[in-house]
Amino acid sequence: MATKASQGMAVPAAMPDAGGAHGVEGVPVPSFEWMGLSAEWGVRVKPGEHGIRLSDLNVGIYGEVPEVWDDQTRRPRGALPRPGVPPLPYNLRNKHQMWADSAANLYEEAIQRRWIPATEVPWDSLKPLPDDVERAVCQVCTELTQYANTEIEIITYWQDQMSYGYYEVKQFLATATFDCARLIEALRKRALSNGGGLGQESRGLVNRMILESRGGWTESAVYLYLVRGTYMMQVLRGLLNAAHNDAERMIYGKAIEDWSRHLTYGYDHIKYSVSHQAGQADILQTLLSLGEVMMAAELQESTMRPALAIIFGGGIKGGRTIGMETYLHLVGEFVRNYLATCEWIGVPRAEMLHPMLKKYLEY
Amino acid sequence: MSEAPVKQQEYELDTSWMQHMGEWGMKAEPGKRGLTLTEIQLGSYGEIPEISKNMSGRPRGAGERPDAYRVGAYGVRAKSEIWLSNATFLYEEALQRQWSSATDVPWHTIEALPDAMEEAECLLCTFFNEVEFVAGDVPARWVANTTPDFLEPRHVLLAQVMDESRHMDVFRKRALANGGGLMRMSGATSGFVGSIDLARDFTEMSTRLHISGEGAVLTMFRMGELFGQNEAEKVMYRLCAQDEARHVAFGVMHLRFLSETAPERREEIEFYLDEAEAQILSGVQNPAGTQAETSEALAILLGGGKEHYDEGHKKLLVIRRRQLKEYMQRVKTAGFGARFENGRSTVPQQYESAI
Repeated sequence: MATKASQGMAVPAAMPDAGGAHGVEGVPVPSFEWMGLSAEWGVRVKPGEHGIRLSDLNVGIYGEVPEVWDDQTRRPRGALPRPGVPPLPYNLRNKHQMWADSAANLYEEAIQRRWIPATEVPWDSLKPLPDDVERAVCQVCTELTQYANTEIEIITYWQDQMSYGYYEVKQFLATATFDCARLIEALRKRALSNGGGLGQESRGLVNRMILESRGGWTESAVYLYLVRGTYMMQVLRGLLNAAHNDAERMIYGKAIEDWSRHLTYGYDHIKYSVSHQAGQADILQTLLSLGEVMMAAELQESTMRPALAIIFGGGIKGGRTIGMETYLHLVGEFVRNYLATCEWIGVPRAEMLHPMLKKYLEY
Repeated sequence: MSEAPVKQQEYELDTSWMQHMGEWGMKAEPGKRGLTLTEIQLGSYGEIPEISKNMSGRPRGAGERPDAYRVGAYGVRAKSEIWLSNATFLYEEALQRQWSSATDVPWHTIEALPDAMEEAECLLCTFFNEVEFVAGDVPARWVANTTPDFLEPRHVLLAQVMDESRHMDVFRKRALANGGGLMRMSGATSGFVGSIDLARDFTEMSTRLHISGEGAVLTMFRMGELFGQNEAEKVMYRLCAQDEARHVAFGVMHLRFLSETAPERREEIEFYLDEAEAQILSGVQNPAGTQAETSEALAILLGGGKEHYDEGHKKLLVIRRRQLKEYMQRVKTAGFGARFENGRSTVPQQYESAI
């Protein structure tokens, strides 16, 4: 394309008065003032093996992600600003407050791995279960629904405060809340289609902790992904192992795929935050000290504990022995994964782990 | 997970929660469209409260706990504020019609355009890149503020956030795929009083966002066959139009529900429509509007070049007329059509003169 050089930048050649427009009755004379106004022109991203992905667009200035994005308008990254545009309440304007290098690819993966509970889950594979097991499954569905709902409510609280400069993150989080909606839908369908119903609501200790994390998105991500999310992933794996039919297998399997993305983003972001913000590691140590107390208390009192034990034990009787052993082992795995992730992130917790969580390490 | 060690120990198992569960004995069966949200609106699970007292985030129909934390500071708790009759359908359709901007748009069909045409397309893409996520940011905010008793509309709004995210990305991809780039932002969606962003009532926001704002954009997307220069652009506009039609349907059907169930709010809604109509053609939020510089870009694309601007402008007038016609149809469907008969609205006159 023909371009002309202007202060080292390539700008479009089609400038005002380049021909064509003139006064015709009934047709307003165009100004074409917008022509030639581009910060970088001549970009030609070609589709590759996977089409054109979001990360492919990070070329030239369009790929420059600043540490601070002061612009409080909806100016797309790389577009020219327009003077005089009033600001909007985009309060998260620092890269370390939300960034993860993986966000763009996770966004595309989420779209590629979409699934449809209404038509893709083999609902006809559901068969009646013993009453105690059905109740346990329905209770777990109810609690997991509240986990997903909490994720929706905390993400949507922060999402519209995140600057346009970090649009990859906003877009990934849109897929995360959509995943949550789909999991809620699938779990509700499971609970209401096999002779059961929903269980009793959770008291919500950890849900409250997540929803009350208003010190910034990173704080929310710590509780949502590092603490709750790591546990939730372990629960989903346990449920997949103990699935009673193909419908459950598909729901839990797909949820694991979806939450793997959520955790990848969450862990990546927390690590980025710790490595790019002075003092952040110390803050997270404090947050995790509190988070571990809440998590340990919930593990002790939550109905997830007996419900999962019943599922793993094949009923109440087995739940009192092998089922609870399996559950305790699952929690032990959660704590080990949590400690390993904390170490990787740069906030080691092994020495300071709350005793109520530490006791699970014997399993 | 590795093998659990077997210990000969019996643990205490609290099963008291089994006495406090939701209604039991539900057996939803898949219908001809599978097991949709409609099929599971059974018994108490299908009872939508007129006013929700659920402040703990409890899934609708689940057993209550007296000691549950009151964590949901939900502002939207009246059914009339957000409900619509076809939310389950819109949500399920959204799931069925998800698409990928990376792989479902035939990017290889894009070929170099004359400079003015490429600039025009890139200006349009910059505009859409800028405004599409308004319809993501704002509905997301309202989801957090709505009780989960209204699961179905919340789910439609979350699907909308997802759709808008994809729209934001597809227009960015187009702008950077053909030798062009992003251009100057429009500033069309800033925080002015009466804007979509600042509405403090859901229906007010929905009227502005879904009915007037997205309605105008939907008409444009549907005309993408006219101004798309290649198959990739035509597919892009076609897929976006599919999504946008659901969002507009949400607004129309919600407004209809509100007008039927909360007639005391009708006059208030008429004022929102007055405000919207005052800017329907002159506002910069409408990419085909008289004041929007994207109109010039559209005329270039519709005409097939800068040298055919006048011809393109004539086609632009057809789009504007169609925007007005479709707007009137939506408002009529929503139950507010009398304004076009009783002289309150100037849209019929605008429609007649927009030739």
